[in-house]
Amino acid sequence: MELGLGAYLTFASVLFGIGAVGFLVRRNALVQLMSIELMLNSVNVVLVAANRFHPDNHAGQVFAFFVIAVAAAEAAVGLAILIALYRLNRNIETDRAHVLKH
Amino acid sequence: MSDWLSIVPLLLVATSGLFIMLADAFSKEKAELALVTAVSLGTAGLVAVGLLASGSALPPLPEVLGSYLAVDELSLFFDFVICLGGALSALVAGGYLREHELERGELYVLIVLATFGAMVLARSTDLLTLFLGLETMSLSVYAMIAFRRTSARAVEGAMKYFLLGSFAAAILLFGGALLYAATGHTDFAGIGAKIGSGEVEPVLVLVGMLMVLAGLAFKVGAVPFHMWTPDAYEGAMTPVTGFMSVAVKAAAFAVFVRILVVALPGEEVASMTSGWPPVLIFLSVLSMVYGNVAAVAQKSVKRMLAYSSIAHAGYILLGLAAASVVGEPAISGVLFYLLAYTVSNILAFGSLVMIGSRGKEAVDYDDLAGVGRRHPYVALPFIIGVLSLMGFPPTAGFFGKYYVFNAAVQAGGGFVWLAVIGLLASAVGAYYYLRVVVVMLMKSPAEGQVVAVPMKSGYVASALAMSGAAVMVFGLLPSWALDLAISAAQKLIG
Repeated sequence: MELGLGAYLTFASVLFGIGAVGFLVRRNALVQLMSIELMLNSVNVVLVAANRFHPDNHAGQVFAFFVIAVAAAEAAVGLAILIALYRLNRNIETDRAHVLKH
Repeated sequence: MSDWLSIVPLLLVATSGLFIMLADAFSKEKAELALVTAVSLGTAGLVAVGLLASGSALPPLPEVLGSYLAVDELSLFFDFVICLGGALSALVAGGYLREHELERGELYVLIVLATFGAMVLARSTDLLTLFLGLETMSLSVYAMIAFRRTSARAVEGAMKYFLLGSFAAAILLFGGALLYAATGHTDFAGIGAKIGSGEVEPVLVLVGMLMVLAGLAFKVGAVPFHMWTPDAYEGAMTPVTGFMSVAVKAAAFAVFVRILVVALPGEEVASMTSGWPPVLIFLSVLSMVYGNVAAVAQKSVKRMLAYSSIAHAGYILLGLAAASVVGEPAISGVLFYLLAYTVSNILAFGSLVMIGSRGKEAVDYDDLAGVGRRHPYVALPFIIGVLSLMGFPPTAGFFGKYYVFNAAVQAGGGFVWLAVIGLLASAVGAYYYLRVVVVMLMKSPAEGQVVAVPMKSGYVASALAMSGAAVMVFGLLPSWALDLAISAAQKLIG
């Protein structure tokens, strides 16, 4: 059975939606970071699947590798910030960080 | 070798970033690194403006890079604006870090790397380079905000910006992936040509375009994607706030211009009934109105400037929307606006740094009470900067606003009303900008109030002198910079 591009896009959109809802609903910064990773992975699904339907070059697959590499760099910076936050607040709940309100 | 001529500024910044990282490991005197940073970024900016002003034809890049990086006047113009912002921020940071005993060399490395990312972003002609430039810039900026890692404000600002920024980057990326799925191209020109040919799934293009626009609108801090702006601007150290408000914003607007003109031209996606102009108008009106109104209510001057930067994003978006009708005058207006905004903002944030000293930082209106009478030489640059942000003639900011609103009026139709809304919103802006000036000149500090004492720093003073001179020169003689902007815009539209 051959799946069309639509099936892959539907799957990726569901994955993206789960990530976006997770990011907006959860208040634990680590879980929010994981939700972002889920969204980036849904991007990779679209890129790799779309490449199969545009087979002139490997742009989509190469792009997916770059996304993976950058996601790792993003996680490194993000975790460093969260560690600094934990040292100050002893928790990483985003709604408990509110020094910056006027 | 001459193939690389047009990206010499980019290469200079990249190598100096690596060099400064190495030098940081061996140097004891960190303030010298500030000078090295400022000189290397300044050199790159001067090379860019030299290439631009010479008007010579730029050789195409080697094929391996050709479809990823632009070779045009627009990129050189933004190289100049971004390097200027980076160099002046580095000088201000040099004085600030010494005064507040935070001297660690990483900040300069991060400034250079963020500048590099911003230049790549402004130059990108492919979704891949867009993404890499955006992330190089953003990751460096997140780290710069969290630089003062024992300060709860700094870390909280960095955390909020990081989470929302990564969320927005994921949205932008998903939109980009959808555009790739629809067109089979990741380069802007290919996407634009394929959309123009009409052989694409319109729903995919529309959703992809909206998601890309949302991601970019987040980076420029337009309402309703502005939530991070006040917190990140207030939490960051003042020199970093200055850097964010100029280099990051300029780069994001550069890629905004390029995507709209190159990847999304034509009737299908650039008309008032279906496409991006109405989206930009919506963002622009909300940003102009909300930014100015919210700025009035602020107690902190830094937060006020953050909201005012949202309002400025609104004015620039108005220019971009007008570009769908009139093209070149609107784009050159936007370019000039960004240049004027860069020098005025560095002037305002730099003098805010200068007014404070260790333990007596100037952040709130109360801190500034009477500074103008006690220390007129420090207050003067701040007042010039704020007047330029307000759009008071004959400063650079006046002509920036004039060209953008003028383009909107030329576009005619509903754009005239948008220009009227913009002017009314700027009138609200005049209230809070002038309020700072009044507080500085006429108010006396309350009893027992900690009085801000200006610091002494040659670095900050020279940064202020340069940006102050630029504000006045671009205000009194705007034609030189405007000609560069016009030629860049003409070459882009072709």
